[in-house]
Amino acid sequence: MNMKDVIGMVNFHSSPLIRPLCDSRSLGSTSFLGRYALCDFALSNFCNSGIERVGLLVKDHERSVLKHVGSMDSWVHNTKTGQMRILFNEAACNNPELNTDLNNIKENDWILYDSNADYVILAPVHIIAPIDFRPLLEKHIANKERITVLATKIDNPKEEYLGQDILSLDRLGYVEDIRQNDGSIEGPSLASMGVVIINRTVLADMIHQFLPKNPYLHLGGLVYRAAVEGIYKVKCEIYDGYSRCFDSFKHYMDYSFEILEREHFDGLFRPSWPIYTITQDTPPSIYSETANVSNSFVSNGSTVEGTVINSILCRNVKVAKGAVVRNSIVFSNTKIGEDAVVENALLDKYGIITRGHHVSGKEDDPIYVEQGIIL
Amino acid sequence: MGIKIAAMVLAGGKGTRLKSLTRKTAKPAVSYGAKYRIIDFPLSNCANSGINHVGVLTQYESSELNTYIGNGKNWGLNGVNSLTSVLTPHQTEEGSSWYRGTADAIYENLDWLDRLDPEHVLILSGDHIYCTTFDEMLARHIAAKADCTISVIEVPWEEASRFGILETDEKGNITAFKEKPKNPTSNLASMGIYIFDYKTLRAELIADAKKENSQHDFGGDIIPTMLSEGKRMISYTFKGYWKDVGTIASLHQANMDLLLSGDPEINLFTVQASHRIYTEDTHAVPQYVGPKAKIRDCLINQGATILGEVDHCVISDGVVVQEGAVVRNSVLMADAFIGKNARVNSAMCGPSSFVGENEIINEEAKDIALVSKTK
Repeated sequence: MNMKDVIGMVNFHSSPLIRPLCDSRSLGSTSFLGRYALCDFALSNFCNSGIERVGLLVKDHERSVLKHVGSMDSWVHNTKTGQMRILFNEAACNNPELNTDLNNIKENDWILYDSNADYVILAPVHIIAPIDFRPLLEKHIANKERITVLATKIDNPKEEYLGQDILSLDRLGYVEDIRQNDGSIEGPSLASMGVVIINRTVLADMIHQFLPKNPYLHLGGLVYRAAVEGIYKVKCEIYDGYSRCFDSFKHYMDYSFEILEREHFDGLFRPSWPIYTITQDTPPSIYSETANVSNSFVSNGSTVEGTVINSILCRNVKVAKGAVVRNSIVFSNTKIGEDAVVENALLDKYGIITRGHHVSGKEDDPIYVEQGIIL
Repeated sequence: MGIKIAAMVLAGGKGTRLKSLTRKTAKPAVSYGAKYRIIDFPLSNCANSGINHVGVLTQYESSELNTYIGNGKNWGLNGVNSLTSVLTPHQTEEGSSWYRGTADAIYENLDWLDRLDPEHVLILSGDHIYCTTFDEMLARHIAAKADCTISVIEVPWEEASRFGILETDEKGNITAFKEKPKNPTSNLASMGIYIFDYKTLRAELIADAKKENSQHDFGGDIIPTMLSEGKRMISYTFKGYWKDVGTIASLHQANMDLLLSGDPEINLFTVQASHRIYTEDTHAVPQYVGPKAKIRDCLINQGATILGEVDHCVISDGVVVQEGAVVRNSVLMADAFIGKNARVNSAMCGPSSFVGENEIINEEAKDIALVSKTK
């Protein structure tokens, strides 16, 4: 198997719309743990798996995505043979219902018809996990599969992987039925991770065959038609490592804080599986004599003179003397003034919390503070 | 058509007094400021000055340094109409030899300069720490139609006898140069930063190379000769932080100067808004501060894990300070490990150094201890 025969696609289309966090950005380019954007995980999975031809299926907010990916050489080994392309469907810009992953691929169909790749691997940005695609692809090829999907076992579908497909398999491990997780499914289930390995010609044929009849069809629907309507058998591989599906604002907060626990940190960040991101050339973070920080991630460029507890500070955040940040996420370039208090909150970037001001959400209902705000 | 200016960065020094830190690493490649290597400063200064043609002259333990410099990508010096070349001693028709002195290093690479055909040549040291642009100095050099402009800094009178000291008239014309004078008559120290008119420099270097009794050194030979020949030589007074770190103690102090408890005027990061210092991109995980951690007055890079107490420290990526450990007044270079309940005082812990559980380093803290033991 040669990973040169593979095209990777990072799918921004399948993300749920998490408002108001994603009003001005795509979920894939949303900051995570101060240092990353969520799409870094899918991009790094491709890079670490040796897949160097990667397309970013960008749905919207391309300014935000382009700003994050920069010259796009942070996720390729060889900057000549490695190619990262932005794939965008301009025609569907003003028609959200038609702005689907499949229409985007169709719009950029040179990938399907003009490339010599045998396989296409699609991975979403809103489900993060360290995934090595190589053994999955090996099985896919060895068993002469046409479509393979990746799923993970979840205990409580009412609480996680909301909006994702829940799969039922036959005894040979092929997908038999697919239901969308609308929050009503009880008990342990098998949730789709949105990863699809598909032979390029099969993808091209299916797009050619089904899209003219149903222009609203998206990748999940295509897999459904293949599996449930019996057009192609869809093999399901089970992933049993750390994975999280970002399906709501609350989960964005919870899944961020959870990484502060060593067990989760080690699940996401493996020594042999580096996560790449773009460099910002910010100096290291600096702490004053009055700093008091515990159980937190602090990003470069930050200046801490106050108290930071159970929190995540992104780049270039300033926490002045006497200020307290607790159970909060502070996005980049935000200033928190002297004696201000920020609790159970997400402060979006470029905000200013003035001296003595209090911003408090509830422990189980964190408050979102929009970007650029002065309080 | 030639270019306006090329920079030649002298990076061949051995840095013997840095002991184990330079046993296998050239001094310009030594770690500094939690994130950087010393040579990042002169190279970033070039980049920020729009000087896009840079030759880096290396000799001692050069493989790590040469690899690090590469094509100048880390400092953006690999773009259109830019060139970064690592210039090591090489074999020629005339034979082969090591660089015999700073001037000889440039002489041996006149071909490289001839191909660029610069009007001016900036000579820099690869192991000085300062943050500036050369715009003003070059403007002064051009306006004065000088053959050579030397950057000087006022040093305390009592230290003047350690430096190369320049005497100038009221207009800044250099009237005398004395290397380490016993009874200094001026406190203007040469910083080893020169701008030459290239044609003049070329002729001087060719003449100097033929002299058998010359040490082929800029300070010792070229500058005094040019002065005696009556060449137009002027000084440019540098204001700001500048350090030539020669010893473990001075490198330690230069690190401590970066902390907020230091003089805010000399904090290199206060000037970073317009003049960033660029460096290698490491794929570090976020910086984690544990629940029991105490951090006071520190500079800490991404990828560090602080579970114990750190006070007055500069801490690089990959460093782990275990629970119960107390580290004071110390520099922890990349991947240093401080075991549980260890106590480290006034130390320089080199790259990947290891301090075991309960180990005590430099309790009396009379001098700066160098820790180079690895696991």
